[in-house]
Amino acid sequence: MTQDKSIKVLSAKQISIQKPLSEEWMDSPETYQESYVKAVDPDFKQFISAGDARRLGKLLKRALATSLSVLQEGGITNPDAIVTGTGFGSVENTELFLDAMVREGEQMLKPTQFMQSTHNTASSLIGINTHSHGYNSTYTQKGLSFDSALYDAWLQFRLGKINSALVGGHDEMTPVFAGFMRKAGHVKDGEICSEAAVSVLLSSQPDAPALCTLEGLKLLNEPEPAELADAIRSITGGNVPSAIMTGMSGNSENDSWYGFLRDLLPGVPLLRYKHLFGVNFSSSAIGFYAVACCIKKGIIPACLALDGAPVKTDQGILIVNAVEGRHYSISLLKPICGGL
Amino acid sequence: MAQGKSVLITGCGIISAIGNGKQEVLDALLSNRTGIGPLKYLKTQHTEFPVGEVKMSDSEMEQAMGIKPGTPTTRTALMGMIALHEALAEAGLDRSDLPRVAFVNGTTVGGMDKSEQYYTDFIENDTRNEYIKTHDCGSCSEMTAGRFGRFRYITTISTACSSAANAIELGADMIRAGEADIVVAGGSECITKFHLNGFNSLMILDHGQCRPFDAERAGLNLGEGAAYLVLESAESAARRGAKAVALLSGYGNACDAFHQTASSPDGEGAFQAMSKALADAGLKPSDIDYINAHGTGTPNNDVSESQAMKRLFGEQLPPVSSTKSLTGHTTSASGSVEAVICILALQNGFVPVNYAWANPMEDGIIPNMELKPSRKLRHILCNSFGFGGNDSSLVLTLADQAV
Repeated sequence: MTQDKSIKVLSAKQISIQKPLSEEWMDSPETYQESYVKAVDPDFKQFISAGDARRLGKLLKRALATSLSVLQEGGITNPDAIVTGTGFGSVENTELFLDAMVREGEQMLKPTQFMQSTHNTASSLIGINTHSHGYNSTYTQKGLSFDSALYDAWLQFRLGKINSALVGGHDEMTPVFAGFMRKAGHVKDGEICSEAAVSVLLSSQPDAPALCTLEGLKLLNEPEPAELADAIRSITGGNVPSAIMTGMSGNSENDSWYGFLRDLLPGVPLLRYKHLFGVNFSSSAIGFYAVACCIKKGIIPACLALDGAPVKTDQGILIVNAVEGRHYSISLLKPICGGL
Repeated sequence: MAQGKSVLITGCGIISAIGNGKQEVLDALLSNRTGIGPLKYLKTQHTEFPVGEVKMSDSEMEQAMGIKPGTPTTRTALMGMIALHEALAEAGLDRSDLPRVAFVNGTTVGGMDKSEQYYTDFIENDTRNEYIKTHDCGSCSEMTAGRFGRFRYITTISTACSSAANAIELGADMIRAGEADIVVAGGSECITKFHLNGFNSLMILDHGQCRPFDAERAGLNLGEGAAYLVLESAESAARRGAKAVALLSGYGNACDAFHQTASSPDGEGAFQAMSKALADAGLKPSDIDYINAHGTGTPNNDVSESQAMKRLFGEQLPPVSSTKSLTGHTTSASGSVEAVICILALQNGFVPVNYAWANPMEDGIIPNMELKPSRKLRHILCNSFGFGGNDSSLVLTLADQAV
C-alpha cells in the first residue's frame, strides 16, 4: 500500500530573530538579553506587491516570503501539497478584532481582521499566489503544529498521492500574546518569547539536488518510556545518529524532558537551537530547518552543540521535540549519500 | 488518480441544534424539524440573527459529562466530549483501547468562547490564566480526548469550515498507510461572539431562516455542534468483532486558489474535490445516490457549488440537499456533523430535505424537497468547503455494499 521512495528536503528557509533568509547565524549568531524579541523581517518587496504588503499581516507576509524562496530554490512552481502548522495563527489580527469587540462593542468591526484571523489563511494565500489547486491543509497543535503538518505531508508521500510538498511552520507574536504565552506556561523562565516563519520544500524526485533526506517521522501523545525508545529505534533502525537535536532551552523543567536521551543513546552529542531562536509554537520548524542546513554543510557549528564542540553529520541527525513533556515528535534527517 | 482502499466506520456520535445523539438527530431529520431559532445561550448584542444552538448550557453539558463545577472547560470541548462519548460507545472502545487509537480533531474557534469573555482579565490580572491555556485549538482537542483516557496521537486541523472533513481524510490516510488501526476523527465548534461578528462583518448572515439554493437566499445561519467517526481498518474490526455502520470509500481535498473568503464562479476547487473523491472511491458520477451539499445559503457559495455539481454530474445529478437549514452552519464541525447525517440517511434509507427552500435560483440546482423514506441509498457524496477555498468531499457508502 505505501511507497518507500526517499523523501528529500530540497530547500529550507527562515524568518526569525536571526538574520532572515540567511544561514549567517551558523557563524555569527545574534544574541539577545530581552525576554520578548520580534522577528527580523527581510525586504518583502521582492516577494510581495506593495498592495499586498499593506494589506497582509506579518505572519502572512513571512509565510509567503519563505514559501516563494524555497519554491524558487527548489525549482518548483506548483507544489502538489501545501501544509502549514501554526499554534496561534495570525494573532495580530485576532487581537485587533477581539480587542475592538471587547472594548468598543459589537459594531463597526473590520472584516479584513476577521478574514486574516483564521488559521488556514497562510496555506490558502500560498495556494492563491502559486495557483496551486492541490492538497491544502493546516494544523494547529501548540508546539507540535509544524510536526503535525510535516507528518501529513509525509503520509501523502508514502501513499503515493504527491511528489512535492511545501510545509510551513509560522507563528507571529504581539506584546499581548507574548504575555499570554508566559501566563499559560508555553514560554518559561529564561526563555526568549519569539516569532518564527519556516518553509520547507520536500520532493520525492530522485535526481533533485537537496539538503538532506527525511528518513522517518513519528508523533506520540503521552508515550510510556518504552514506547519512546521503540519509536526511536524504529526510526534509526538501531543505528547511532551523529547527534540529536533537542528543544533544550536552558529552562530546567523543559530540559528535563530530554534527559532520557542520555540513557537511551549514551555518548551521542546533544544539540539545541532555542537559545538562538527563542521559543514559540513554531520553534520545532526552526529545529528542523537548522538540522537540514547543517547536514548540507556537513557540520554542526559549535553554537548549536550543548558542549560547545562542532559535530559531524554523516550518520544523520535525530530530532526530538518534547512539548510539555507529554507530546513528542521524533524525526531523522540524513545526508544525501546516505549514512557513509 | 488511483482508487484507494475503503475504511470502515465502526461508530459515530453527534450533537447539534437538531439533537443530542444520533436518535434525536434522526427523528428531527425524518420530521423535517429545524433547530434554528432565536439566540438563547450566547451573550451578544446581535440578537437579530437566528442561530442553530445546541440546546444545553455549558453547565448542563459539564453535568452530563460528570465534570466537577469549577473545572476550566470550553463549550467546543464539552460538545466534543458528548459526541466522542457516543462514538466510542458505539464502536465498543473503552479506556484500555485508547493507547492504540489516534484522535484527529477539527476546530477553528478553539477556546475563543472563554477568551472573549475573560479577555480583560487575561491582560489585567492572573484570575483567568487557566483559560489562556484553553485558548488555542490544540488544547481544546487535548481536553476533549483527555476526558476518556490516553490516545496515542492527538492533532488538530484548522481549515475553517472544512476542518472536520479534512480531519476525517487524515484519519483515513493514517489507516491506509498502516500508521494506525483506529482513528477517531471529526470536529467540534461552538458559536462565539468572535465569529458571529466576523461573519456579520462579511455580511453573510441571513436575518431570517437561511434558505440554501433559494433564489431569495440572503446568507447563512450560524450553528454549532460536534461529531466524530470511528475509522478502522478491516483487519482491526475483524479482530475486535466490531461491525461497520458505514464505509468511507473515498475522499478528496483541493484548493480553489481563488480568494480568501469567496468561491470561484465556476467552483473549480469544489469540482476538483468531488472528482478526486469519486476517483478515490472508484465510482462514476452515476453511482452517487445523494449529495449532501455544503449549501450554506450565501449567494456566492450556492452559485459556485451548483456550477461545480452541474459540471461533474451533468444530466445525471442525483438528489441534492443542504441540511444547514436544519442544523445551521456548524462551521469547523460541519464536515463530520453532515457525515453522520449521511450515515443516518444510508442506514435508514431516506434523502434529507433542503428545509426552507421555495424558489429556484437562476442556473442553480433544484434541491430535494420531499422526504423519501424506504429509498435504497448506496453511495453519498458529502461536501465541505472552507474559507481560503479549502474544499473537501467525502464518499460514504452503505456498510453491506461490496466495493
